[in-house]
Amino acid sequence: MSTRPPNPESVAELVAQFKSDLAQAKSTRDAQAVRDRFLGRKNSIVASWMQMIGTAPPDQKKQIGRWANELKKGVEALWAEWQAEAVVQGRARGRSAGAVDVTLPGRVPPLGHRHPLTLVRDRLEEIFTRMGFAVVEGPEVEDEWHCFDALNMPAGHPARDMQDTLYLAAPLSGDSPTDRRTLLRTHTSSMQIRYMQAHTPPIRIVVPGRVYRRDDLDLTHSPAFGQIEGLAVGEGLSLADLKGTMLAFARQMFSPAARVRFRPSFFPYTEPSAEIDLSCWRCDGAGCAMCKKTGWIEIGGCGMVHPAVFEAVGYDAERCTGFAWGIGIERIAILRYQIEDIRLFYENDLRFLEQFPY
Amino acid sequence: MRLLVSWLRDFVDVTASPVEIAEGLGLRGFEVAAIEPFGDGDAVIDFEVTANRPDCLSVVGLAREVATLFDVPLKPIPAAGPKPPAKENAEPDTRKTSAVGVTIEDAELCPRYAAAVAEVTDAASPPWMTTRLHAAGVRPISAIVDITNYVLFELGHPTHAFDLDKLAGARIRVRRATPGEPIKTLDGVDRRLDADMLVIADRDRAQAVAGVMGGALAEVSPATRIVAFESAYFTPAAVRRTSKRLGLKTEASSRFERGADSSAPVVALQRIADLIDQIGAGRIVGPLIDLYPSKRQPIAIHLRRVRLAAVLGATVPDRDVERILRALGLAVDPTADGWDASAPTFRVDLLREVDLIEEVGRHYGFEKLPATFPVVTTPAAAPDPRIPRDNLVRRVLTAAGLTEAVTFGFIEARAAEAFAEVGAGRPIGIANPLSAKFDTLRPSLIPGLIDAVAHNRRHGREDVGLFEIGTRFAAHGETRAAAVAWTGSTAAVHWSGGLRAVDFFDVKGIVERLCAALGVTLGVEPGDATFLVPGQAARLVAASGHSSGTPLGAMGQIIPEICDARGLPQQDRLFVAELSLDALWLARVEGAEEVRPLPRHPFVVRDLSIVVADTLPAQIIRGTIQSAGEKTPAPLVGVTFFDRYQGKGIPDGAVSLSVRMTFQAPDRTLTDADIQASVDLILASLVREHAAIQR
Repeated sequence: MSTRPPNPESVAELVAQFKSDLAQAKSTRDAQAVRDRFLGRKNSIVASWMQMIGTAPPDQKKQIGRWANELKKGVEALWAEWQAEAVVQGRARGRSAGAVDVTLPGRVPPLGHRHPLTLVRDRLEEIFTRMGFAVVEGPEVEDEWHCFDALNMPAGHPARDMQDTLYLAAPLSGDSPTDRRTLLRTHTSSMQIRYMQAHTPPIRIVVPGRVYRRDDLDLTHSPAFGQIEGLAVGEGLSLADLKGTMLAFARQMFSPAARVRFRPSFFPYTEPSAEIDLSCWRCDGAGCAMCKKTGWIEIGGCGMVHPAVFEAVGYDAERCTGFAWGIGIERIAILRYQIEDIRLFYENDLRFLEQFPY
Repeated sequence: MRLLVSWLRDFVDVTASPVEIAEGLGLRGFEVAAIEPFGDGDAVIDFEVTANRPDCLSVVGLAREVATLFDVPLKPIPAAGPKPPAKENAEPDTRKTSAVGVTIEDAELCPRYAAAVAEVTDAASPPWMTTRLHAAGVRPISAIVDITNYVLFELGHPTHAFDLDKLAGARIRVRRATPGEPIKTLDGVDRRLDADMLVIADRDRAQAVAGVMGGALAEVSPATRIVAFESAYFTPAAVRRTSKRLGLKTEASSRFERGADSSAPVVALQRIADLIDQIGAGRIVGPLIDLYPSKRQPIAIHLRRVRLAAVLGATVPDRDVERILRALGLAVDPTADGWDASAPTFRVDLLREVDLIEEVGRHYGFEKLPATFPVVTTPAAAPDPRIPRDNLVRRVLTAAGLTEAVTFGFIEARAAEAFAEVGAGRPIGIANPLSAKFDTLRPSLIPGLIDAVAHNRRHGREDVGLFEIGTRFAAHGETRAAAVAWTGSTAAVHWSGGLRAVDFFDVKGIVERLCAALGVTLGVEPGDATFLVPGQAARLVAASGHSSGTPLGAMGQIIPEICDARGLPQQDRLFVAELSLDALWLARVEGAEEVRPLPRHPFVVRDLSIVVADTLPAQIIRGTIQSAGEKTPAPLVGVTFFDRYQGKGIPDGAVSLSVRMTFQAPDRTLTDADIQASVDLILASLVREHAAIQR
């Protein structure tokens, strides 16, 4: 590296050289390079002088060693001085009085999470509100007439079996003195009746709320869950209109490319009745794990309001037509968030709840 | 209903594969639970048949749907089975009287009863029959029993075979049971019947529960030589009631209770006769008995073309309407405005016009209907006021750092008991709970939240703050409430320190904020709820407006006994609050919407430290200051406590309170003299009222 032979003059010159090189360094990295050129373990000036000791004639070894050591000490002293200075200067540059370590965590103001079932419910309400539906709520404890009879499920109907419905040990008093509520509603459809009794067509409502079934709690079932009921009543409403309404909902809720399929089914309070299938928004109908390779996902039931229901609330079943649907809120949340165990909704584990957006 | 495809092909010639058949019917109202390969190229399709279609709990019923779907004819019931054997004794018996006498004593519960007698041998069923029964999901037993099961699945009509030698008097009486009448049913269970139940009895006793299950006494056995076959129509409601009360559900009862075909009894007996003959299990003797006192007429239904199009939202060609209805077994006559139709007796679900509209729509195909968006003629009504209210509550509580929980509306009785007083009244039990964990309607949201906190504590979370908005139940009805539960530290760990454990006033602050957000003036009084730690418990009431004094809820620290019982660590201090949102809503005072002009003159702040008895509630001192402030020369506009001190320098039983008072006049700048006079007046009032000493 250096051709300078070790001697007292060259020691002094090199130390002076180091000092001026260091003074000219514009950054810590430059300074480090200068230091390495003089003091580095390999190929530096000090290293080359040290190597000379080995190859020098025996009588000069001691001399060279002393000069090499002198050079090393001189350079090291200057380096230490420069480093100390750099720290002082650095502090002055980066930290004026009262400066903080900006990389330390801030104090995050508290903000809790809304439950995923609330997020889904809000979204459903928002979508249907945009379509002109009013959001209403009804009682969870119902009487048999509103929950069954008026919905074309007379006494003795299979859906009224004790197997499915939870009854109260003692009735609750309702809105009027004669009103005796005896069961937990099995569907939000009971609110169709209450609303129609209190209003005249045209009607467009959605009814979100909790419903109860005599079911065990397991991976896919729960004895209580949320539903959103829809009801439209007027003149000239048709099954095609119901299909269009469900299509508009599916496109806003899941995918702009969603398609709707109605599969005929049976509900006592609608006729015709159908299950609502949506094209799988994961695979666009090609078949994947989510839709169990069918390309379709069932999200609820729907149909044209049965004339017997209109008759029960005193509507003219000849003039009115209407449609209704019921969609499970947990079902939508399970599909949207890919949740495998329905029990997660009711355990309220913060590790689960905190995964949802604020 | 498990449908064997080769059996189906006895009734309908379709080339479609099992998968195509399953998919096709899947879109016509018959959900497919499974398709299983069965033997050589055959398959069983397991259909879920809806409650309105008992006719499709049969091969022939589903065949009719398949025939309609693929537009091919439905073949008649085979006169003899698939492999006709050589008949040795094909001549019908010519005896004029039957070996059994039948009487219907309750035609309301049994409108029709047919019977036939057969001499039988102890033959085994041929393999083709046992294979089909296996496919349908029943175990072959003996030729006679197998034949009744075969007819059950093929035609959907339940029949029963009695060992005629065991029927006393060779009599069949269709009568109501006597109260408490005993019978041992085929499943070996001794049962007691009641007078609402219909039985098939002999001269002496009940031998079968009509439409539900036969009796053990007259059961067909290998020794049976003469059999009476029953093929009846029982009233659906009666069978359902009996089946439910006995807790006994059978293939027969599930068909009768949904509605059997009133025309089927004789058809089924003829099919039985053919099969007995065909498999060489015996021969029918004597005439067929058919008691049918008042014959049912098919229901006539008029279908209007205009109505059909209006309900479906699409015009179905007349040709398709007629084809579909006829294929489904209806008689159809075109009229000027539509069709006069007559529903076959096996279609118990077809009663009115809309039922026919559904049938046409179903087989025309819902997929052919357009998707139209209905015209909006009126604006949507405002939402239920509870919805924006609950959303506001949710916003306030999440902003307080609490996360929303959802717990069940029912809890275990043990957990409910202590909380009844929050919602007023004893908890309401559930009459038929599925498990003791969910046997009581919640009187309060707090027990559910305690369990949710305990769950999180068990999973290592130290700081848990939850809230729930939900319904609670009491004898006077259901109310909506919001509840919070909070334990641990008030904030997350931070390098700057300042960690503080949650206490009473953290939760009280949330309650205050919630009341302010809803426009309710909150009153807080010492409480004595038994689930709260004494001295850390408060009653929450409305403090202004027309509902002043109305209870709003309770708050405080949960007693260690409850924490312990619900699995919370012993050292945890859990603070809770519950407020009735319905009561809050009624107690709110709507403030003026107009903004107040900003003050034009400066405010002045004065601090005052006083020593008073520590039993004196701060609320009282505040009241004294405020009422004194009404008469001061400088208007008092704000009072805040900013320090509370007990200890060195303060006598025992006393407390030093520091109060910050703000004075401001709307029309002038206050002078020092005004302020001093005002503070003096307030202090004098405190000295007079509470023997306060200024520090």
